[in-house]
Amino acid sequence: MAYTLILLAIGLPWVGALLVWWIGDKHTKAQHTLAVVFALAAAAASVALLPSASPQIVFSLPAGDAFGDFTFVADGLGVFLAVVATVIGSLAVIFSIDYMKGEKQLGRYYAFVLFFIGAMVGLVLTSNLLLMFVFWEITALCSYALIAFHNDDPKAVAGGIKALIITQIGGIGLLLGALLLKSNTGSYDINALLADPSLLGPRSLAVMAFGALIAAAAKSAQFPFQTWLPDAMEAPTPISALIHAATMVNAGVYLLARFYPAFAGVPGWREAVMAVGMITALMAALMALVANDLKRVLAYSTVSQLGYMVYAVGTGGIFASQFHLFSHSIFKALLFLGAGAVIHAVGTRDMREMGGLGKQMPFTRFVFIIGALALAGLPILNGFWSKELILESGLANGPLWMYVIMVISAGLTAFYTFRMVYMVFFGKPASEKHVHDAGPAMKVALIPLAIGAVISFLAAGYFSHLLSDATLPYHGVEALPLLTILEEVFTWPTLVALAVVALGLLAWWQRDKLVGLGKALKPIGWAAEHSFGFEAINKGIVRCTQGIAEALRVTQTGSLAWNVVGILAGLILVLAILAIGGR
Amino acid sequence: MTFNIPLIVLIAVLGLLGIGLYCLLASRNLIKVVVALQIMVKGAMLLLVLVGRLRNQIPLAESMAFTVIVADTIVAVVGLALAVQIRRHFGTLDIKALTTLKR
Amino acid sequence: MVYILCVVGVLVCAIQAIRSKRLIVAALWLAGTSALTALLLYLLGAPDIAVVELSVGAGLVTVLFVFAINIAGEENLPSVPAVPRWLTWLFVGITVILVGWFAWQGLPDRLAIVSEGNFNLTLWQDRRIDLLLQIVLLFCGSLSVLGLMAEETPHLQEKEKDA
Repeated sequence: MAYTLILLAIGLPWVGALLVWWIGDKHTKAQHTLAVVFALAAAAASVALLPSASPQIVFSLPAGDAFGDFTFVADGLGVFLAVVATVIGSLAVIFSIDYMKGEKQLGRYYAFVLFFIGAMVGLVLTSNLLLMFVFWEITALCSYALIAFHNDDPKAVAGGIKALIITQIGGIGLLLGALLLKSNTGSYDINALLADPSLLGPRSLAVMAFGALIAAAAKSAQFPFQTWLPDAMEAPTPISALIHAATMVNAGVYLLARFYPAFAGVPGWREAVMAVGMITALMAALMALVANDLKRVLAYSTVSQLGYMVYAVGTGGIFASQFHLFSHSIFKALLFLGAGAVIHAVGTRDMREMGGLGKQMPFTRFVFIIGALALAGLPILNGFWSKELILESGLANGPLWMYVIMVISAGLTAFYTFRMVYMVFFGKPASEKHVHDAGPAMKVALIPLAIGAVISFLAAGYFSHLLSDATLPYHGVEALPLLTILEEVFTWPTLVALAVVALGLLAWWQRDKLVGLGKALKPIGWAAEHSFGFEAINKGIVRCTQGIAEALRVTQTGSLAWNVVGILAGLILVLAILAIGGR
Repeated sequence: MTFNIPLIVLIAVLGLLGIGLYCLLASRNLIKVVVALQIMVKGAMLLLVLVGRLRNQIPLAESMAFTVIVADTIVAVVGLALAVQIRRHFGTLDIKALTTLKR
Repeated sequence: MVYILCVVGVLVCAIQAIRSKRLIVAALWLAGTSALTALLLYLLGAPDIAVVELSVGAGLVTVLFVFAINIAGEENLPSVPAVPRWLTWLFVGITVILVGWFAWQGLPDRLAIVSEGNFNLTLWQDRRIDLLLQIVLLFCGSLSVLGLMAEETPHLQEKEKDA
C-alpha cells in the first residue's frame, strides 16, 4: 500500500510534467486543468500516506554496488514534508490559473513546477544519501528554471543564475558527506548512520557534519548565503510561494533535522547551528525593516523564520522546529499568494506605490492580515504556538544571550510585519488606480491556507505522534497529546515574548514619536539596506565564476571531430591512470 | 604467447576498435560517423562476451551485451534521424559546416 | 581455423566500410560486418546474442541506413579530415595499445566453454534495472525520432518565409 502511494506521489507529478509539456502551448486550458489534476492527485497520495508512516523500508531498487540500493522510507518526518510539499504545491498551481492567465509558454512553467513537486517528495522520502543528493540537485535545477522563467528579463536571469551558483556551492557539501559515508561504511544508507554515529571516525563525522551545515545553509538561504533568496523574487509569485517559502528552502532545515541524531555529538556543531540560525534571524529581520519591495520583505522574513527553525534544531528541539516549519509553510504561502494577488492587481511590487488598497481589496486584506498576525506570533494563530515552542527550547538548551537576541528578533518581526501591512492596505493611496480584488482561482487557493493558519495548531498532538519513536526511531521526540503541548507553552517566557511582540506593535503605532530613535539607528538601516556587505561578496563570486566560464570557452569548438578528440583524450587519461595505479 | 582463440578474438576486437575510432575522427560525412560508431560498438560487444567467457561470468556478460545492442541501435536510429534533419536544414552533411556555435 | 577466417572477414569488411566513397556501399559493408560478428559470437558460444545481433545489426540497422541515405542523398566530400591526420593516428594508436595491454593481461590460455548460470534468469532478475533503462531508452528514442521527423510547425514556416 505504502509502496504504490510513494510511487504515485513521486511519479504522478512527473508524468503530469511530461503531459503538460507535450500538449503544447496552444491548448492553455487543457494545460491548466492537467496541471491542477496531477498536483491534486499527488497531494491525495501523500495525505493517504500519513496513516502508514513507519520506519520500515517501503521499497528498494537495487542499483548495483556503486550507488547502493535506492531505498524509500515513509517515516514521520518525510511523510509530513511530502504532505506539505504536495498540498501547498497544488494550492500554488491552482493560484497560477489566475496569476498566469495569458502568459506564454505555460507548458514550460507547469512542467517545471510538477517536476519540482515530484522531486521534493522524492527528496524527503528517500534514505539513500546519494539519491537524496540527486533529488536535491533536481530541485535546484527547477528552482533556477522557474526563477528565470521570464527569460527575456535580464534581472530574472541574473537572479536565477545567482541562486543556482550559491545553492550548488552548498550541494558540494552534501555530495562530500555522501561520499564520506560511502567510503567509510560501504553504503549510502542514512538510517544506518543515525542508529550508530560511531560508524564514521570523529574526523570524517565532523567533515560530514559541517558539510551538511553548509549545504543546508546555502539551500535555506542562511548566513552567509542569504543573498540569493531576495533576488529570487523575480520569479512569478506562485513560484515564490511554493519554492522559496514552503518547500525547497525547507529542504535545508529538513537535512539538519534528519541528521541531528548523528551530528549532535560532533563538538561545536550544535553551537555552530545555533549561531547560524540566530545571526540569520536577526540580520534578515533588520533587512526586512528597510526594504520597500513587498516580495523582498516577505523573502527576508522567510530567511528570518528559517533562522528560527535552524536555531531550534541546534538546541535539540526537533519537534519545535518541524512544527514551526509546518506553521511557517502555511502562513508564508498565504502571505506570498496574497501578495501575488496584490501585485497582479496593482502591477508593481514597490510598497511605496501602494497604500489604501484595503478598501478595494477587502478579501485579500483579510487573508493577508491573518497571515501577518500568524507571522508576528499573535496568540491562537499557529505561528504563536510554534514560535513559543522554539523559544522555550532555546531557553532550556541554549545560551541565554542567544535567547535574548531571538526574542528581540521576534519583536522586530512584529514591527516589520505591521509596517508591511500598513503600507500596502492602509493609509493614503499613492495612486488613483482602480484595482480588482483576487480572482476566483486565487480565492480558492487562499481560503484553505487562511483557515489553516488559524486552526493548524490543533494538529500538534497528531504531529508529535508522527514524529515520535514509532516512526522516527532515532530522534527522541516524545508523542504528547495536544493539551500537554499547549500547556507547555503557557509559561513566563511566553509572556516575555508576547510583551516584546506587543512592544513591536506599539512601536509601529507610535512611530511618529519614535522618529528620534529612528534617526539614531540610521547607520544600521544603511548597512541593512546594503545587506551588510554580503551582496558585494556575492556579486564578486558570480562575476568570478562567469569570468572563468568565458575564459574556458575556447575549448568549446563547434566541430564534431574536435569534440571527439576531447572525449578520447579523457578516455586515454583514465586508462593511463588505471594502468599506472593498478586495480 | 600461444596462438589461441582468445588472442584471435582480441585481435578482432582491437582491430574493430581502431578502425572505428579512426573513421570517427577522420571522416567528413555525418553518416560515416554513425557507421564508425556502429563498428566500435560491435568491437565492444565482442569484447564483453569474450571476457565473460574467460572470467566464467557468462550470463552477466551476455546480459550486458544485450543491453549494449539495444542502446547502440537506438543511437543509430536517433543519429540517422538527426542526420536527415541536418541535411534538410543545413543542406549539407559536412561536419565542418555544422558549427553555428559563436566563438 | 574458422575463427581466423571470421576475424579476417570482419576486419576486411570494416576497412571496406570506411573506405568506400558511396554511403550505400558503406552501409552494405557494415551489414557484412554485423553478420560476421554474429557468426563469431555464435562460435564463442553465445547463440542468443548472436541471433539478436544478426537480426538487429545486419537487418534493422542496415534498413535504417538505406532509408536514411535515400532521403538524405549522397554527397561527395573531399577527404581532408577536420583533425590533422597525424593527430588521429596518434590518438587511435595510443587507445588501441592501452586497451590491448589491459585485455592482454587477463588472457588465460583456454576458453572456458562451461556454461554456468542461466542467461534468462540473470537477464530478467538480476539486471532488472538494465531492462528498465532499455525501455526508457527505447521510449526516448522513439519520441525523439517522432519529434525530429515531424512536419515543420506553421510558425517555423513563417520564419522561413520572412528569411
